Amino acid sequence: MTKTKVKRSILARLIPGLTSLTKRGPSGWMVILGIIIVTAMVVVTVIGPWIAPHDPAKTNAHLIRKPPSFQFPMGTTHLGQDMLSRILCGGSIMLQVSALSVLVCFLIGVPLGLFSSYVGGIFDKVSSLVIDAIYAFPGLVIAIAISAMLGRGVVNMALSIAVVYIPSYFRVVRSQVLSIKELTYVEAARGIGAKWYTILFRYVFPNVIPSIVVVATINFADAILTAAGLTFIGLGVTIDIPDWGRDLTSGWQYLSSGAWWIITFPGLMVILLALGFTLIGEGLSELLNPKLQR
Amino acid sequence: MGLRSYIITRILLTIPTLLLLLSMVFLIMRVLPGDPVALHFEKKATPEQMESMRRALGLDKPLWTQYIEYLWGLVDIGYFWEHGYPNLGKSMQTFEEVGGQIFSAFPATLELAIYSMIIATIIGILLGVVSSKSYNSIPDHLIRGFGTVSYAVPIFFLGIVFQLIFGVYLRWLPTGLRINPAVDPPATITGLYTIDSLLQGNLFKFFESLKALLLPSLTLGIILSGMFVRMTRTNMLETLRLDFVTAAKARGLKESTVTYAYALRNAFLPILTIMGLQFAILLAGAILTERTFSWPGLGTYIVDRINFRDYTAIQGAVVMFGLFVTLVSLVVDILYAYLDPRIRL
Amino acid sequence: MTEKIEIAIAVLVLIGIIVSSGTMYYMTTVVGDLSTLRSDVSTLTESVTNLTSTVSDLASIMAEGFGEYAEALAALTARLAAIEAGLAEKETLIVGTTDSVEKTLDPAQAYDYFGWCILQQIGGTLVSVEAGSPTGADFLPDLAVNWSSNEDLDIWDFNLREGVKFSDGTEFNATHVKYSFDRAIALIPSIPEGAPAGLGYDAIINRTEVLDTYKVRFHLKMSFSPFLGILASRSSTIVNPQYAPIAQINHTTGDPRASTPAAFAGPYVLSKWNRVAGRDVEIKLDVNPNYWDLASGYPKMEHVIFRFYSDAATLRLAIEAGDVDMAYRHTSPTDVLDLEDDPNVKVWWGTGAQIQYFCFQQKRAPFNDIRVRVAVTAALNRTAVSETVFLGLSDPLYSIIPPSMLGHTEAFQKLGDANYTLTTSLLAAAGYDVNNKLEFDLWYESSGHYPQSADQALLYKEALEASGVITVTLKSADWASYKQNRDDEIMDAYIYGWYPDYVDPDNYAFLYWASWIHTNYYNETINGLPNPSYPAYLQQVALYDEARATTNTTLREELYAQIDEIAVEQCSAVPLWVGSGWVVTTPPIYGVFLDITQDMRYWLIYK
Repeated sequence: MTKTKVKRSILARLIPGLTSLTKRGPSGWMVILGIIIVTAMVVVTVIGPWIAPHDPAKTNAHLIRKPPSFQFPMGTTHLGQDMLSRILCGGSIMLQVSALSVLVCFLIGVPLGLFSSYVGGIFDKVSSLVIDAIYAFPGLVIAIAISAMLGRGVVNMALSIAVVYIPSYFRVVRSQVLSIKELTYVEAARGIGAKWYTILFRYVFPNVIPSIVVVATINFADAILTAAGLTFIGLGVTIDIPDWGRDLTSGWQYLSSGAWWIITFPGLMVILLALGFTLIGEGLSELLNPKLQR
Repeated sequence: MGLRSYIITRILLTIPTLLLLLSMVFLIMRVLPGDPVALHFEKKATPEQMESMRRALGLDKPLWTQYIEYLWGLVDIGYFWEHGYPNLGKSMQTFEEVGGQIFSAFPATLELAIYSMIIATIIGILLGVVSSKSYNSIPDHLIRGFGTVSYAVPIFFLGIVFQLIFGVYLRWLPTGLRINPAVDPPATITGLYTIDSLLQGNLFKFFESLKALLLPSLTLGIILSGMFVRMTRTNMLETLRLDFVTAAKARGLKESTVTYAYALRNAFLPILTIMGLQFAILLAGAILTERTFSWPGLGTYIVDRINFRDYTAIQGAVVMFGLFVTLVSLVVDILYAYLDPRIRL
Repeated sequence: MTEKIEIAIAVLVLIGIIVSSGTMYYMTTVVGDLSTLRSDVSTLTESVTNLTSTVSDLASIMAEGFGEYAEALAALTARLAAIEAGLAEKETLIVGTTDSVEKTLDPAQAYDYFGWCILQQIGGTLVSVEAGSPTGADFLPDLAVNWSSNEDLDIWDFNLREGVKFSDGTEFNATHVKYSFDRAIALIPSIPEGAPAGLGYDAIINRTEVLDTYKVRFHLKMSFSPFLGILASRSSTIVNPQYAPIAQINHTTGDPRASTPAAFAGPYVLSKWNRVAGRDVEIKLDVNPNYWDLASGYPKMEHVIFRFYSDAATLRLAIEAGDVDMAYRHTSPTDVLDLEDDPNVKVWWGTGAQIQYFCFQQKRAPFNDIRVRVAVTAALNRTAVSETVFLGLSDPLYSIIPPSMLGHTEAFQKLGDANYTLTTSLLAAAGYDVNNKLEFDLWYESSGHYPQSADQALLYKEALEASGVITVTLKSADWASYKQNRDDEIMDAYIYGWYPDYVDPDNYAFLYWASWIHTNYYNETINGLPNPSYPAYLQQVALYDEARATTNTTLREELYAQIDEIAVEQCSAVPLWVGSGWVVTTPPIYGVFLDITQDMRYWLIYK
């Protein structure tokens, strides 16, 4: 299919999809609100570097910890950097880290879960055991270990977060597949001699997608928060890259001298972003939950 | 399968899980860059010094031997009997008994976890019930909003906001530590300051520890409660629609009886599972909360020890964490199986 | 109808919360007001046995009602607070700190600041540095009354003070001195557990000889003028053999010997030492009844209690609230500048001795080329760092030896700060210009081992890139990995710090070429081949050895100045800044000395 055709078909599904959401009650509105928030944040992050009034990393000894004013609407940091510019440019790290980690989780956790639960037997038991062990591992410790091993940077942060969340995908997929694979039409497919991978990908997988999407959005929100947490422990990116997580961390020390703005604005941004994804996820899970239909 | 065999199977399954956990920690530690031996020497050390240090830390033995000794130490009953904690080796940084260090740090995290869980369940269930009763009204939307937003807030951010308001501006509550350093902590019986001070009849210390506990457990509790609110609400909504509820109402039972005695009891099971899940999240969140509130618990301990590449200490702490999480999920699973007659795998 | 009940319950709960939080607030304001208890304290000390009756009073009072309960509880808690402290306010000094003893209090092993701090309060050395000494070279008799050395400075005799007792009553004599140093040396090569203190006595002391009951002689392996400085350091604390086995380190918790007060002969004894999970929770010092200098009125405070806070922000809040009398190490520059404006506290400023320096990896490009090193050094802007990161509380440093110490110069001023003309011309000669910028990695330590290293790194990068011909990539690692990277020599340029073992230029000057910094300075490659006889290095070492072999201060100054000059030409390790020190106290506190030794002599402090 050509590009325009793909775009059109996506739009063709998207717009009625979105409008139909509005008719689905408060859950639908949650999803729409979430999508608006996330899109807005992504747009701001992308165009941020262009519209930022100052260089976000440039220090200035005379502008240290200045409260919000007309010239610096969000105040300055302890090194004299403009907070507004840092807010505009600081989201990309978080978004990159969480997007990457969700992708990795998805690519590893979902197939593993599908395969393991469908095949069953020893393989299933062993993988469940390993996954449970990973699950019992305090996530932050794994993240710290991986960061120390591989060094800093977006990719390594994403990897460490991904490792922590793969068990969730695995478990959700597995529980879904366990119930789906007993359904009659799946049995029927087996009866007519369909190969296992056909069954898996054409019959089982589409039914699992809704719950995966929900987990993915929650995972996104969690990844953002974990990325902030990792930076808080001291494992974030280097200081010359503007990052909401870093401002959250360094702003902490200056609260007792009254510089509330260094921490508040990045904190609000992180909350907003995580909230966007959570809204989408929660809304979707409610929409898809048949037990709630009146 | 009867309940008994289910329990036995579950317990047996935890052993390989734990074993895997131990082995993973062991390997990860050895792969980390940074040499615990070198960290003892600031300047140049002679090869003999490095060698003797390596021997003192037990790192000169082959990896396999270290592993076996490590596992062997864990099941050393005699040591456990003597010390009251398992043999987790000696800290590679201070040479204190790791078991002792962990057992002195663990109660702090436990206390925090318990109080946070209490707060989370109370807030969560109450709000969830209220919300489900008034479906689609303003309170319902507000509570749902709270449930969603509370989960999106970074733990340390909420903690810092609380510190700022209650600790710095209002000066009502301490911003960190388990008790005001001006006060001697209560003598250790359980290690939980609140319980210990009550057991000794020391109300002053009880209130001081409570004051210090309030902000961190409120932080963690509020963040966790979101999940409880949503879960309770969803389950209550489902249950309230079920026939037996309508039947109960038709029979003329009071609204409150119906809500709490009938509906909530049935909705409780999934909530129980969530509680188990949340404990795992709670322990992970404990690291961040402890850091924010300078809480000297297991989380702070792990982060400190990682800086020193203190293999034995980190292994011990992770094992403790893992053990606890596994135990809690075991208990939850068994409770679930016991309470829900439909589940008999 | 049930809705109303729920609302009623919610309202009741709300009322309950408001009332209990009000009570707690009331209690905090009353309990916090310890000054009103001063009159009660005298009656209290007599009626300590009345505690049980007070408790039963409380029980009956509680029965009388909620309002009276709050008052009585507040009064009782206030009394209990004073009893908990257990001491008259005038006799106890409460110190807040974020430090913690790292491993042990054994002089043969302790090498961390706080371990040394406690050791100084409880132990005695042969000589000590006079409080307030500007150069750190004013030595006072301590356990030794006078001393002399031969001309070659390799034989030192000490006449010891008579009548000194260890805190358990054992009489101190020369055998104990010999034992302490023999032990320190014996424990260096093979330690059952733990690393030795880093002073390297085995390289300096040949043997210790007891000449008489109160006379001891040190035979040194070389001429060593800073010997008194070494003797004044904590690793030279004299130990009581009964409590310090020759072949074993005294451990921290669990080993009674470590906290046994009888091991030392200083002004205080360690009466309480609690650690939880590897960090100090409680340290209490009491007067040593056998201290030899009691007659002079030292120590002034009978008890010293250390309270441990986990970070600078919490410590600041504690001193602001008056929870501690004194806050030392660490409050951040921001906090201490705020506190300067606070009329309720007093800030004492002092000389600093902690330095940071910039290191170049010289075994490969680009920093095996001197021109590149000098160019980068010239582009650094120390003033910007001092102003922006440390708010003026650190000073730019132009010599590896800090100010006020013998041998300090302003040598690196020659290259200037942000001297971009020099930078561009030198780099042009080396083949770098605007279109072909010099690129390298600058590493900084990220786990808090050095103060604000991330902020510093950002400023160094800014300054260097402002030259227009340099591109810096920042990289970070936590302390353990950072050290590993240093030893593996993978960092192009990195920031390192130093804290003195003893206060003498001898303990600083060698940093230009110290092998364990792994800059490969004296292994300078020429045409790809290592050159162990690098002339500049040999010159500097020769000057260094000469300087430690004489006590002639003028001569020593000249020698260290020459070392600095060569260092400026070579730019192997470049001094960046020197920190200053500060203490915050809630008045009235007197006797605080913050001199270049960085020692806090708690026995001199009084209220």
